[in-house]
Amino acid sequence: MGIEKFLFYFFAAILLVAATLVITVRNPVRAALSLVLAFFASAALWMLLEAEFLALVLVLVYVGAVMVLFLFVVMMIDIDLAQVKEGFSRMLPAGIAVAVGLVVVMAVVVGPEHFGLEGFGEVPRHGADYNNTRELGMALFTTFVYPFELAALILLVAIVAAIALTLRRRPGTRHQNPAEQVAVNAAERVRVVKMAAEPRDDAPVPTAEPGESKEEPR
Amino acid sequence: MNLPGTQDYLAALPEIVVATLACIVLLIDLWSNDRERLLTWLATQFTLLVGIVLIIVQLSTDVTYAFAGTYVKDILSDVLKLFIFIGAGVAFLYMREYLRIHNEMKGEYFTLGLFAVLGMMVLASASHMITLYLGLELLSLSLYALVAMRRDSAQSAEAAMKYFMLGAIASGMLLYGMSMIYGATGSLDLREVADAVAQARSDDLILIFGLVFIVAGIAFKLGAVPFHMWAPDVYQGAPTAVTLFLATVPKLAAFAMLMRLLVDGLGPLHDQWQGMLIILAVLSMAIGNLVAIAQENIRRMLAYSTISHVGFLLLGVLSGTDQGYAAALFYTVVYMIMGLGAFGVLVMLGRAGFEADRLSDIKGLNQRSPWLAGVMLVMMFSMAGVPPFLGFWAKFAVLQEVVAVGLVWLAVAAVVFSIIGAFYYLRIVKLIYFDEAEEQAPIRGSSPMRVMVSSNGLVVLLFGLFPAPLLGICIAVFTRIELVIG
Amino acid sequence: MLENYLPILIFMAVGLIMGAVVMAIGYLLGPQRPDSEKGSAYECGFEAFEDARMKFDVRYYLVAILFIIFDLEIAFLFPWAVVLGEIGLFALGAMAIFLLILVVGFIYEWKKGALEWE
Repeated sequence: MGIEKFLFYFFAAILLVAATLVITVRNPVRAALSLVLAFFASAALWMLLEAEFLALVLVLVYVGAVMVLFLFVVMMIDIDLAQVKEGFSRMLPAGIAVAVGLVVVMAVVVGPEHFGLEGFGEVPRHGADYNNTRELGMALFTTFVYPFELAALILLVAIVAAIALTLRRRPGTRHQNPAEQVAVNAAERVRVVKMAAEPRDDAPVPTAEPGESKEEPR
Repeated sequence: MNLPGTQDYLAALPEIVVATLACIVLLIDLWSNDRERLLTWLATQFTLLVGIVLIIVQLSTDVTYAFAGTYVKDILSDVLKLFIFIGAGVAFLYMREYLRIHNEMKGEYFTLGLFAVLGMMVLASASHMITLYLGLELLSLSLYALVAMRRDSAQSAEAAMKYFMLGAIASGMLLYGMSMIYGATGSLDLREVADAVAQARSDDLILIFGLVFIVAGIAFKLGAVPFHMWAPDVYQGAPTAVTLFLATVPKLAAFAMLMRLLVDGLGPLHDQWQGMLIILAVLSMAIGNLVAIAQENIRRMLAYSTISHVGFLLLGVLSGTDQGYAAALFYTVVYMIMGLGAFGVLVMLGRAGFEADRLSDIKGLNQRSPWLAGVMLVMMFSMAGVPPFLGFWAKFAVLQEVVAVGLVWLAVAAVVFSIIGAFYYLRIVKLIYFDEAEEQAPIRGSSPMRVMVSSNGLVVLLFGLFPAPLLGICIAVFTRIELVIG
Repeated sequence: MLENYLPILIFMAVGLIMGAVVMAIGYLLGPQRPDSEKGSAYECGFEAFEDARMKFDVRYYLVAILFIIFDLEIAFLFPWAVVLGEIGLFALGAMAIFLLILVVGFIYEWKKGALEWE
């Protein structure tokens, strides 16, 4: 129990420091990287709670994918740091007051004595053969199958919304159409244009109009 | 292992069918080349119609729990879904007219709208906090996207950003509150939560703490003061068609959320949440009505008007009696009808690239179109609570229940704020009838639009004269009287 | 259960220590004679032409978010694969519906041309 407790405090401390850095560092890229560290630390905390699947998903999805997106967004917008900082010192007293108030209230309320933990007893520790992924799957695909399908619908709405909001067709971009390229035949490739013989430039100007002289680009 | 069976699927049939049809509408829209998106729109309306039929066929006062208690079908969910379908149908009709006028027709307006409707349905029959949260997210995500649909307008993007950020904070608060409740009761199933709460000490700090966060989260979604900051900007920034949708129908879903969480789940804590709702209600009525007077933009004014209506809605719920809940439901439905009508008139006044939303735009409307002016007059009188329009009965029903539980001072305050609020509604009437028109452009509008706006006005007038049927439905929902429709 | 992860913990600790030690050795043993020219930005012998931060096209964002959505979908497949044998056909049906809904999204994506770079 001792080592577990130590690990909890160790990772919790990292989490707190990293989360504080996210909102205090000046450089947005550093803030995003601090968030990565915060995700790692919370994954470790979940692991201590024996939620191994969620811990690994947190690392894979959030650290692996969501943070890449965050970095894209940070890079995409040219953040004017001076503008962001504007109003910071003006809002600071009010912000600190609210934060302190919230912390005090939470310190009073969110203690173990209020949770009625005695009613639940000691959380059992599982053996080495415990499979958290299986437990999760059993709950997800029997009891929570309705919320599970709803999750798919939310992902679908996310796809539709992302595409509807960001996809733009640019006029004038050129791109290949392989099907058309393959299906082309010789007659379409080359167009033989019959035209009257052109007089030489230094020859006297003829009276007749030249015929079709321009070839349309394909 | 307890797998869902036929009775589970039957109970959730409306959701299943609407979800399937929504996906099909999405695909139909992909392959339709029609610039007017007629097919998409018809398929959307057909989906809503199928939903109405399915609800009416299965209408009963039985309470059925399905999918291991994550879904509940009772008379409240049925009636709410019926009103959601009807309101969404009208909203989509107005939306199509708006998109045609402004040349912005896109199928996504309807498909995302349909997914929002689905989210509201899920909320209406949620009996588990996870279902409730997912329904809320489905609804919110669709609405955020709808608000941002006008991509090149900075105003619209700003509105969507504010809506999204504050909505995300509200979701976070709600989740935090739910986790507190879970910590205190050991369950997320609203029935089990209610049982555990009933046995807990009434001064259990953790429960109260969770309750505060849940109430704050709901207040954000409802737009009650002091969690209302997003409403005016979003109402003004979003395209009017989206505003009219998100200002009206989702209020029914928010009402469902209030009922499910506070009454079904945390009912035993009524004494605690009553106090919180009183504060929210009084502040909403005060700020909503007072600030609305200062607005030059009609959509912004209607946003503050909505905030004050939310205050009234909360009055009904905080009474804590079945009659009070019925009055609140009645108020929500009435508000939806009035909101749809008022925004419908605004849609008709707009032209391509021009939103008629400043007060000066409706000056002398009577000279330009007496009929439309009449509809707007009915809506404004009704919103102000002038008898014999529908809005009067809604306010009356709510006040009656507040007095019945002994909160006379609250009823008096509500009346005072309503009288203050009447000023800005009547100012619009004055502008319409007694001012010279600045805008002379002829008012066009397709015939379905004209018919729908007119009938919207007539509904407010007719139900105002004979409120019994609508009020009867709302009362029947909560007194479990056998309900017969048609 | 946690004892299974002890090797990973040790690995993390060793990694941290190694990184710290290597950096510390470099710091302690290396000569440090800072100079303003040494510390300045260097780009092929010239002054830096522009800011290293450049704007990304919004299309990267679209691709990234679509990737995340399908990444999340894959995350659901792991617990499903583990319990499929125990629950049987019902789990198969549930996942089929889940995937079907996302295939609708995929068709939407494809038909809209969100997968084309142009």
